[in-house]
Amino acid sequence: MAGQSDPHISLFSAEEVEFMAEDELIEIVPNMRMDPLNFICGDFGPFLPQIATQVPLWLAVALKKRGKCAIRPPQWMSVENLTRVLEGERDTQGAFQALPFHYVEISRLLFDHARDDIPDMYMVRSLVEDIRDVRIHKVETSLEKFSGTSAVKIPNLSAMEVNIIRPFVGRALQAFYKHDNPEKIPDVDRAPSGHTRVANNEPRRPLRR
Amino acid sequence: MANYYNIDDILTEEEFVPVVFHKSANGVIIDPSSETNSVEQGAKVELPLWLAQELYLRQAISISVPACFNQKTRLEIQADAACVDLKFRSPYFYEFGCKIAPLVGDKSVEILLLSAFKIRYKEILTKAYTAAYTATSKFFTLLTKEETNLYEAAQSSMVAFKKWRMGGPRLQRASVLGRKRKLIE
Repeated sequence: MAGQSDPHISLFSAEEVEFMAEDELIEIVPNMRMDPLNFICGDFGPFLPQIATQVPLWLAVALKKRGKCAIRPPQWMSVENLTRVLEGERDTQGAFQALPFHYVEISRLLFDHARDDIPDMYMVRSLVEDIRDVRIHKVETSLEKFSGTSAVKIPNLSAMEVNIIRPFVGRALQAFYKHDNPEKIPDVDRAPSGHTRVANNEPRRPLRR
Repeated sequence: MANYYNIDDILTEEEFVPVVFHKSANGVIIDPSSETNSVEQGAKVELPLWLAQELYLRQAISISVPACFNQKTRLEIQADAACVDLKFRSPYFYEFGCKIAPLVGDKSVEILLLSAFKIRYKEILTKAYTAAYTATSKFFTLLTKEETNLYEAAQSSMVAFKKWRMGGPRLQRASVLGRKRKLIE
């Protein structure tokens, strides 16, 4: 599952996460008639004017660019829902609100391509940015708290946020595990066990020239 | 054996440790200023760790606590771990301590390392994610190689995310295609 980005730093770059987010299904309202499309991932259609259908996001954006459809924003992207989520994020310090796994990428793609399809676009955009800031801040403060553990579980984190903290948390946990290992120091008085090498003290034969 | 080819591991073993010889050794030039090419029994010299480990297995030396873990460092770390200049002591402070601990048999080294790392880790965390630019603060000179890796990992992923958020062309021309090759006649 490695992407093309630098394997030492992180496994996925931001663009790759966006690419994977485009597989999510979204509802569109086409304004033309088209036969069903048969792809490897599935069949979509037939497209009839003014009848809503579910398609993957990449197909929706491609159709929108050609002016063949209007994208209907998903349920969670309404102003009331986002305001409620924002309040919830600000109130609960430890937990994260349940949001779709790819909300960052989906919202960015919709803002870039389907600006006129979202009611109150500026409000929704500022709400999503606020939610994202609050969540990243919460992740950082909760990362400060753990120390000396080998595994950390954070529920309800979205794909982009996970991608940001992935290399850092991986290395930090490795370092903690290395230092915190209580078995590491054997007693010096014990006789050397079988797996330590015992040096050979015989007189050495001179090598033949 | 996974660390055999690791450059950081090799450089860690390059650090000096003070040892006391139990047997005398001939034909070695350890101290450049001495007249004879030998080391007597009971002499105190500084050897790199890879050499000291081998000699320790042959019971030829005994290793004492290196200078970077002495009492002065310990007091400084206990006072404020975040401001101690560990890179000056050795850039591989933590790995060095991990390797030294079974040889010297001093358990307090381990606890010292862990507590120092915990405190410094918090500092790294706050600075890595909040700095919008690579701050050339004094903080960087204090970090060991391992902590610098941690910091750069966090920084690069944050920068990549911000760049993505700004937008930009989805498809980029590969840099290999930039130049045209001239035909060699």
